[in-house]
Amino acid sequence: MDPVVKIRVEGLTFRYGARTVLREVSALFLEGALAAIVGPSGRGKSTFLMALNRLWEEVPGAHAQGRVWVRLDGRERLVSDPSFPATELRRRVAMVFQAPNPLRMSIFNNVAFPLKVMGQRNKRLVAQEVEGALRRAFLWDEVKDRLDEDARRLSGGQQQRLCIARALAAQPDVLLLDEPTSSLDARAAGVIEDLLLTLKRRCTLVVVSHYLEQVERLADQVYEVAHETLEILS
Amino acid sequence: MSRRERLVRKILGTATLCAAALPLSILIFMLILARPLLSSFSVSDLLTGSWAPLQGRYGILPMMVASFLLASCSLAVSFPVSLGCAGLIFGLTPPMLAVPLRRLVQLMTGFPTVVYGFVGVFLLVPTVRHLFHAGSGRCLLSALVPLSLMITPTMTLFFSDAFAAVPRPILLAAAAAGADPVQRFVWVVIPSARRGLAAGLVLSFGRALGDTLIALMLAGNAAQVPSGFLESARTLTAHIALVIAADLQSLEFASIFLCGMVLYVLTSCAALCAWKMRAATRKNSR
Amino acid sequence: MKRIWPWAVRCGCYAAGLWIVSGAAGVVGFVAWRGLPHLNAQLLFGDVSARDALFGGVPVFDGLWPAVLGTVALVTGAVALAAPLGLATGIYLAEFSRGRLKEVLTVFFDVLAGIPSVVVGLFGFSVSLLLHKLVSPRLGPCLLVAAFSLMILVLPYVIRATQSALEEVPQEVRLTALSLGADRVQNLVWVLLPHSLQGIASGLLLAVGRCAEDTAVILLTGVVVTAGVPRSVLDPFEALPFYIYYISTQYGSTEELERGFAAALILLGVSVSLFALAYAVRRAVGSWALYRA
Repeated sequence: MDPVVKIRVEGLTFRYGARTVLREVSALFLEGALAAIVGPSGRGKSTFLMALNRLWEEVPGAHAQGRVWVRLDGRERLVSDPSFPATELRRRVAMVFQAPNPLRMSIFNNVAFPLKVMGQRNKRLVAQEVEGALRRAFLWDEVKDRLDEDARRLSGGQQQRLCIARALAAQPDVLLLDEPTSSLDARAAGVIEDLLLTLKRRCTLVVVSHYLEQVERLADQVYEVAHETLEILS
Repeated sequence: MSRRERLVRKILGTATLCAAALPLSILIFMLILARPLLSSFSVSDLLTGSWAPLQGRYGILPMMVASFLLASCSLAVSFPVSLGCAGLIFGLTPPMLAVPLRRLVQLMTGFPTVVYGFVGVFLLVPTVRHLFHAGSGRCLLSALVPLSLMITPTMTLFFSDAFAAVPRPILLAAAAAGADPVQRFVWVVIPSARRGLAAGLVLSFGRALGDTLIALMLAGNAAQVPSGFLESARTLTAHIALVIAADLQSLEFASIFLCGMVLYVLTSCAALCAWKMRAATRKNSR
Repeated sequence: MKRIWPWAVRCGCYAAGLWIVSGAAGVVGFVAWRGLPHLNAQLLFGDVSARDALFGGVPVFDGLWPAVLGTVALVTGAVALAAPLGLATGIYLAEFSRGRLKEVLTVFFDVLAGIPSVVVGLFGFSVSLLLHKLVSPRLGPCLLVAAFSLMILVLPYVIRATQSALEEVPQEVRLTALSLGADRVQNLVWVLLPHSLQGIASGLLLAVGRCAEDTAVILLTGVVVTAGVPRSVLDPFEALPFYIYYISTQYGSTEELERGFAAALILLGVSVSLFALAYAVRRAVGSWALYRA
């Protein structure tokens, strides 16, 4: 069986003001695989992720051209299609940032936030989904007795897993991760790496990283950012 | 963009328009109500003439002179004081003193002007009367002291902000070159904060010009060009407060709208100048 | 010789500090010295007992009670008008406007902030003239007009506080909810506004303080010496700062003068505490107030 292409990028050019960060980038990401993007920092790796979920539109001065398709519900959708709301796209293509960014609310409310955004009011269902997401992020056992505590009281590694759980709560098809372990110690990073390997089964992962060993351990596909473009390594 | 987002945007935009219409409509109201006066006298006569309504002269020169004199003198007093206080807060004194001083200055911005005026009436006016044998004791000098005290705290905070915006590398470079704190303050901090200082000065001038109660309660309110600090004088603001009770149809009444316009234009110019200066600082620091 | 001028500069700074401290001490000390002995229930209610004045509806003639209530009504009205308009405008400026338009609007509100309060009062007075002419000859300067004028006076505070609090929200926080599929309105209501609550609250407190202390505006828009407890927004009213001003121009007896000092002390205390609270809120209110978004 041929692998299915989940994300297709063609001719993506990205600028901040007058500075071009990416030029004419093309890439393919396969469904159910973990793709890694490596390269020196400050060369547009994070920018590339923001182009996939259109988050760049919220960054003043950012400008993108080119086309990105994501395969959702069995058909390819053009990301920049005006009839495709950015909010829906961002629920299906979720993102985890480099530094853990829990919102100023309780652990429970953090994970429930995407459901609140979607307008889900059924409390029982929300509680189920939150528990499911926390379990999938290997966090449930650590926090099940303190769901009402401020999320910012968790440790760094726990916060990052909370952010992953939050991203998973809306059942996304794709999960984008921007150097998810770089602000953590080795042990916490190891937990997250294990987590990523299990998540691969449910969704497509695109991970930005600059730890080459980590990439070798985890990735099915590796791209390198160099000279304003992406080159495939393996 | 969702429908909800468009709706919210529309509501907020309408509110913004309403708020932005306020400064314009204030000016338009002043113009309309000052018209009886403007149609019977030329503007230059009004701005340079003397005030003698019984003889049919409605010039506001005495009030303009008094306003300017009072505002610039109080600025001249409070500028060095504010500079000194901001310097202390910036680091010329140990934090043990600087922090409480900053707190105090912040709290002083909350002193009601009417209280300054009240204290002036019962403390300063009798003192001035006894010391200088100056009539009632209500004169420019009596207004000058509390007015300068009133604008000092805001000016100090403006200056502190300007000092705090001086880039750290410059300070470190000066310290590395062996400059002591005072030398750093005088040679490095003040020059590089000069635009912020000027903006603070201009805004404080607007504030001094716009104060009503201190001048009304303490300056004596005689509508003549003052010839000294112990003379009674009437500012533009006090003139408005005094003449508001006049007959609505009279030209005297229309003159307060002319005063209002002059104040409006001057303070708007001050705000615009300050904005220009701050915009220039922002560009430089980028 | 070389060492003398830094020493002189330092001395000058200390002299400036001493001057400002003694100025503050002079004002507070003088008002407290003369006003403190007269702070009692009689000051507020005169010869009427507190219970009768509060619950019995007995009118108070020689106490500060009507002036205090007038000021409270005035502040409530002005802030109730200014808060929604100022919040909406601040949010629009920070979140929905860009480039040239934003710059022009910001300058507009800078200008509005600089207009002297007596000119704002004059505007309020002319609005009441207009109402008198167009709507009903019974209308004139009144509580409503004064509250409207004070609203104009404090609107820039609320706008600026809201705008800068929203603009200070860090980029990471701003993007978090958006990356989870929230639209801009959801992001605003659930993340950005809770995040900027402190800044907005301090702006509102400053606005309350300004309304309570300003005298020039109400001087032109319907304040009077005796009006009793405010009953209608279309009537003239009494207010604390005006009472202080009035006493300073004409007091009949030492008793009245003492009451004036006590009123000045009250106003000073209220105003300074509001400002202190505003600064404290901006610096240090922890997450307790913002815990549930």
